[in-house]
Amino acid sequence: MKRRNALLLIIVVVVILAAIWLYVLLLAPSRETLDQREYDVGSQLKCLVCQGESVADSPATLSLQMRAIIRQQLQEGKSEQQIIQYFQSRYGNQILWSPPKQGFTLLAWIIPIAMLIGGALLLILVLRGWLVGARTPKSATDDGNDWDEEHEEHIDRTDLAQFRTRLEQELAADDPMYARLSKEVSS
Amino acid sequence: MYFSDVGIISLILATGFAILAIALSIVGALRQQTPLVASAKRSVLAVTFFLMLASASLIISFLTHDFGLSYVAQHSSLSMPWYFTASAFYGGQEGSLLYWALMLSVFSAIFVITSKRAPAALVPYVTATLMAIQIFFLIMLITVSSPFVRLPVPLADGVGLNPLLMDPGMLVHPPMLLMGYMSFSVPFAFAVAAMITGQLGSEWLRSIRRWMLAAWAIQTTGLILGAWWAYHVLGWGGYWGWDPVENAALFPWLTATAFLHSTMVQERRGMLKIWNLSLVFLSFALSIFGTFEVRSGIISSVHSFAYSAIGSYFLVFLAIVVLFSIGIFIFRLPKLRPEQEFDSALSREGSFLLNNFLLLGVTFATLWGTLFPLISQAVTHSTLTVGPPFYEQVNGPIFLALLLAMGIGPLLAWRRTSTRTLWRNLSLPAFAAALCAAVLPLLGVRNVWANVAFAVCAFTAGAILYEVWRGVRVRHKHGEAYPIALFMLVNRYRQRYGGYIVHLGFVLLAVGVIGSNFFQSQKDAVLAPGQSVNISGYQLIYLGNVDEKYPDVEIITAQLQVWHNGQLQQYIYPARQFYANYSNQPASQISITTYDLTDLYVFLANWNGLSQATIRVFVNPLVTLVWLGGVVMLFGGIICWWPERKRRKRSVSSENESVEATLAVARPAEDEQTSRPARQEEEATL
Repeated sequence: MKRRNALLLIIVVVVILAAIWLYVLLLAPSRETLDQREYDVGSQLKCLVCQGESVADSPATLSLQMRAIIRQQLQEGKSEQQIIQYFQSRYGNQILWSPPKQGFTLLAWIIPIAMLIGGALLLILVLRGWLVGARTPKSATDDGNDWDEEHEEHIDRTDLAQFRTRLEQELAADDPMYARLSKEVSS
Repeated sequence: MYFSDVGIISLILATGFAILAIALSIVGALRQQTPLVASAKRSVLAVTFFLMLASASLIISFLTHDFGLSYVAQHSSLSMPWYFTASAFYGGQEGSLLYWALMLSVFSAIFVITSKRAPAALVPYVTATLMAIQIFFLIMLITVSSPFVRLPVPLADGVGLNPLLMDPGMLVHPPMLLMGYMSFSVPFAFAVAAMITGQLGSEWLRSIRRWMLAAWAIQTTGLILGAWWAYHVLGWGGYWGWDPVENAALFPWLTATAFLHSTMVQERRGMLKIWNLSLVFLSFALSIFGTFEVRSGIISSVHSFAYSAIGSYFLVFLAIVVLFSIGIFIFRLPKLRPEQEFDSALSREGSFLLNNFLLLGVTFATLWGTLFPLISQAVTHSTLTVGPPFYEQVNGPIFLALLLAMGIGPLLAWRRTSTRTLWRNLSLPAFAAALCAAVLPLLGVRNVWANVAFAVCAFTAGAILYEVWRGVRVRHKHGEAYPIALFMLVNRYRQRYGGYIVHLGFVLLAVGVIGSNFFQSQKDAVLAPGQSVNISGYQLIYLGNVDEKYPDVEIITAQLQVWHNGQLQQYIYPARQFYANYSNQPASQISITTYDLTDLYVFLANWNGLSQATIRVFVNPLVTLVWLGGVVMLFGGIICWWPERKRRKRSVSSENESVEATLAVARPAEDEQTSRPARQEEEATL
């Protein structure tokens, strides 16, 4: 029963979390000021005369001029993407602070994601291989939860005593106070 | 005879002794002659001595302004204060290589002196490996990259140091980071020794773990100091720019972190041996890559203070290391069978696998991003940049998953976890997360990603604190006051609770990073005296500039008042410094004032005479937590690393022991009744 309560609580919590995040995402108005939008665009462009700085971060004159252009175009109602394309058409790909998600440079984005997915698959395969090797066939019932509980009961009676002795030995190695105690118990 | 001659002679002698040490230890190990191995150890100490002598002669050359020495002339000048003159020792490529070699020899000496603790069969091979690495650096120092090259005609005054490096951060950040890179050599040497002898027992694991933990702690310090230096010197309001060199320093740190976790699986269950060894080899290879990348100039970076041709030598060395590692692996593969089987994915070992997967995910994504410009250059012949937006989008979610796993992992038991306990232990942290997510929008945090990230932080912090609380409660029931219970708990299970402290530090750091990433505000303003700029509730009133001229440096300082909530908080003085030798590279003195956890960061971007200033103001919320988190992480790492009881047992009248004894004598009856179930409960919650 207790377990079901805890599980229920967690489900409720997760639902609440999802609701809050959805609310924030959908309903809260986007209150981006012009300054913030200018910064957002600028931070996606590279400062060409600096070392490792974006247009938004750099104090160079060229960057100041570019920021003024960004602001002007934003006021004209252009989208952020359009402004970035405007700069890309004038300066080429080197103006972009991160590789564009198209053509050859799409690889920059795809490879890490592909490696992550591949790694996850490999991890699952390895785990499954180990688990199949470890589990006895009878344990492969449909309902995993039931099996868990059943198995725990089983452990209670037989394995636990063994486990306890091992635990005590390990603890005794750590703790002089405990060593004394377990000696008394065993004698 | 100059001091620099002593230096070059010392280097040559050090090389000789290093070769001798390798020969003696290998022959000694093969013929099982301990006297030979002992001589090898003494040779290592001789190498250390001569490298210290070489370093001392370089430092003396700096302090005596021996401008006949090319390295001294290029990296110092008469006008520099003595501490920067001395620290110019590692300000250039040759000196930093000498520093690397010096630190490696010091670590080798520490290993040799404490070698009684390491498994005896491994010692000669560890020594030989360390000296082989040493020889590479010594040969570089003698041939292509010598700091002791003399000029035909001595200069009257030196060129001086790059102004960016004339900062207190410079005194500590580069040496820490170089030492961090170097320190991965010792675990590597242990791994090689274990592969050659085939002895990968628990004793070996304990030794390699402690050395890796030391390397991890040093690298953590180096990274945090680097971030701090960038924040205080570079003037763009941030502390981490995903610069190639910063990334390079992060790689071995990430793989070392992965190793420190997965090695626990090996310790408990005898599994993942191959995997752990590959992590050690990978960490070392990446640290060599890092050392090489800083100097090679193949990837453009803010840190490229010195370019040179030694890149190719490093590339060859790196190739040798990688090939050697692979070869030794193939040779030993049959011996590396796991001792136990895997039981359940929902277990502590499962969570460590997840941890490793995520950490390596970050490593490879970042490595890919760092190398992609080179690949793109080779394939399409067009230059492009992989900047912070890439890393933030790719690594951000992985780090978030890592943070979440950090909360769940410690709640899982070894072998198999009962879902019942798991749900019970999860409910409180989950509640903390929900509370955090609900409260933040009310406080005005409207960014959904920031909300998600903060909620995950709350979850993980909740899970760790709850876990610690359960342990403390059990000990409290056992009869200890809460503070003592906490202290004893940490003292008894150092690895576990030290680890929790590291995790808490990481959560603090994450909160700082999230706060300063999502809620930074920024403003540029051109001001005349009396004018002011408003940002996030702070008002800055500009008063004017002061121009101070000294023989070697000119300092322009802007004066501003900071007002907050209608009250004058203080005066601030952002400034720029022009060093005579680097007049086109003004160094900046950024004014950073901290109000609670929020930094007001003011950078003097430009000025016109004494009555106009262009300032750039950042308000960085929660940045303080980044530094605090870093310190906490380091503290936790030191607790994990701190020597175990072994030594305490030997000393007869150790305080802790006697206190324990009296405690046990004083309450014998109570103990027998309460301590056993209490102990079991304590262990059950762990």
